[in-house]
Amino acid sequence: MKSYKILVVDDSKLARMAVAKLLEALHPEWTCIEAASAEEALALLTQKEADLVVVDFNMPGRDGLDLASEFRERMPAMPVALISANHQQEIVDRTHAVGAAFLPKPLTKQALEEFLVGAVQRLKAAGA
Amino acid sequence: MNEFLELFLVEGRELVEQATSDLLMLEADPSDPGRLDSVFRAFHTLKGGAGIVNFPSMSRAMHAAEDILSAVRAGDRRVTQALIGNCLTCLDQVVMWLDTIQDSGDLPAGTEADVDDIVARFTADSVFAHDTKVEAVALASAASALVPTSSIAVLKEQISILAASGDGAEGRLASAGRLAANVLRHLARDNEAEQVERALLQSQTSGGATHLTAAIERAIEQITQPAPSNAVEVPAPQVAPTLRTLRVATERVNDLVNVTGELIVAKNAVGHIAKLASETNNTLAAAIRDEHARLDHLIESLQSAVRAMRVLPLRVVFQRFSRLVREMSESLSKPVRLITEGEETEADKAIVEMLFEPLLHVVRNAMDHGVEPPEQRVAAGKPGLATLSLRARRDGEHVVVECEDDGSGIDVDKIRKVAAERRLVSLDMLSAMSDREVINLIFLPGFSTARDITDVSGRGVGMGAVRTAVERLRGRVLVETRLGKGSMVRFILPFSVMMTRILMVEIGQQIFGIPLDAVVETVCIRREQIHPIGSGHAFVLRNLTIPLIEWVWTLGRGGEQALADATVVVVASGGQLVGLQVDRLAMTMDVMLRPPGGLLSGVPGIAGTAMLGDGSVLLVLNVQDVLQ
Repeated sequence: MKSYKILVVDDSKLARMAVAKLLEALHPEWTCIEAASAEEALALLTQKEADLVVVDFNMPGRDGLDLASEFRERMPAMPVALISANHQQEIVDRTHAVGAAFLPKPLTKQALEEFLVGAVQRLKAAGA
Repeated sequence: MNEFLELFLVEGRELVEQATSDLLMLEADPSDPGRLDSVFRAFHTLKGGAGIVNFPSMSRAMHAAEDILSAVRAGDRRVTQALIGNCLTCLDQVVMWLDTIQDSGDLPAGTEADVDDIVARFTADSVFAHDTKVEAVALASAASALVPTSSIAVLKEQISILAASGDGAEGRLASAGRLAANVLRHLARDNEAEQVERALLQSQTSGGATHLTAAIERAIEQITQPAPSNAVEVPAPQVAPTLRTLRVATERVNDLVNVTGELIVAKNAVGHIAKLASETNNTLAAAIRDEHARLDHLIESLQSAVRAMRVLPLRVVFQRFSRLVREMSESLSKPVRLITEGEETEADKAIVEMLFEPLLHVVRNAMDHGVEPPEQRVAAGKPGLATLSLRARRDGEHVVVECEDDGSGIDVDKIRKVAAERRLVSLDMLSAMSDREVINLIFLPGFSTARDITDVSGRGVGMGAVRTAVERLRGRVLVETRLGKGSMVRFILPFSVMMTRILMVEIGQQIFGIPLDAVVETVCIRREQIHPIGSGHAFVLRNLTIPLIEWVWTLGRGGEQALADATVVVVASGGQLVGLQVDRLAMTMDVMLRPPGGLLSGVPGIAGTAMLGDGSVLLVLNVQDVLQ
């Protein structure tokens, strides 16, 4: 079973821990790296490379949507998901518009799994 | 408690602190969008956290706040004092929940009613906000382009209306009051509006227009002032250097401090050996001396570095006062602005934490008794808005913290009178005392000149408790005052603090301290286990024969000694074990050890003294000396 590397971006350590825990339950063999801000996330990606990213919408400075759209532009092969407690249609639409998946907060195992299944398929199709 | 709840608590408290500070700054500058964003995000993150730990009540409460703040961001609502107040109250509730979780390890039960309360507040505020909009529109169309100067004219008109005599006084009262309040709300002066409404009620009850007239006059004065009243003034925002920080449990830092303390003791021992070696012309003397010097230097560096870890900026204490002063200002109806200076000044964690309570007492005193009611201030030619300053600065090995008010100052004659009445000082002594000495009488325990115990201060705990708390940590507190101009309380505190842990024991009805690092164990031995050896006694503990020192003899306090069961503290010194008999064991505590001074400096057996919470002085024993 291939082990992927997933980057979790959220300024709240509690929220990162929650995602990491869900990931552990779904894919214990995967690696999870964490970033607390957009800057940190970009820095990590240039060094360590991740296969997929999960970003929180609500962050100080650069928000998650902005970051997600940059990811989609620079690394189109990398699946991106945006997590937000704002489930307004406008946010969902904007997320899809940049080519990212929308995951509602509080994040459930099922929602994360759906995203991961789709993401892995895409990665495999691209030969990753 | 699971790790999620623990992290929830830590992050929750940080978010509350951040949001509180942002809310107060937002109140001072409602047009700051960055600040508004920051507040919104704090509530949003708190909501998210509540979802993760499965605390739906809190999510609901946070959501209510979020909705209101969303509306403000969208431009549908204004930042009002009521809104800030509701947000702060909401945060208070969060802190209470966090405390409950911390104590019980679990989410609090029965929180729905509290949440309903919070939601209701936000809703009520929004209903009112709509009314204000409507009335403001009506006023505008009625009086064509309401501008502050014409608002003042309208307010002044109400005063003349109220002054009129004749029939219809009740009607005039009601309409003048309501109109004045509406004008003030339209100018976003909610505080003044509320005061006018309260005054209206008072006038309606008393039947005279005086309260209302006075309130409207006060409001006019306040809105014509350059600085807004009840605002929290903060010095120009400084860009704090971004520090890379690490979160470390306090206990770990304390452990490090303790080990460093013991290293110092060991280093000193080596120093003695170095001296002995050179005195006995030992060939190794020079080498030992050199290495000791190097060790000395390194350990001093270690000590400084460790002390620096425990250091916190005074901002940690000062920022708690922004909110307090704001609330006291409201509840006392005395406009006060808080100015802080030097908040980045640092001091040891123990000092910073200790400082809050005494400073709280001083601030309460200043606001309750120092600052005069606004009418009185204006009558005396002072600005209606009082100023309270909190300042901190480093002065060599000390940190100086000052709390200054521009209130009425301390009436020295009144102090003389109270001191005489309560027989705190004899009349002879009192007449011989200078004003400066009389002012220091306020530090006597039980001294309080509060005429009435308001709910803000005046519990009679007094400056005595403040002085004790400060002296426990080797600090000093002084008061300066000028009648009619104001008072200043100055705290002179040590920059760093090293605490010693001691075991308190009772011997011959007196309490002593034994440094805990000398204590091996405490045992209870039965009289059958005590055997005479030579001129003394000993007992056996796990195959070791340990000499027993009946302390009462050593200290010269004993009477006829009856062999009985003994409570023994076994101490180690230089590889030797000795049992010290005591009457009773008491608790262990951390104290600031002062080296013995004055009369005590020549007395063997005393390591130093420490001041206890009640102001009494504890003798701490030097185990090594005692063993000779």
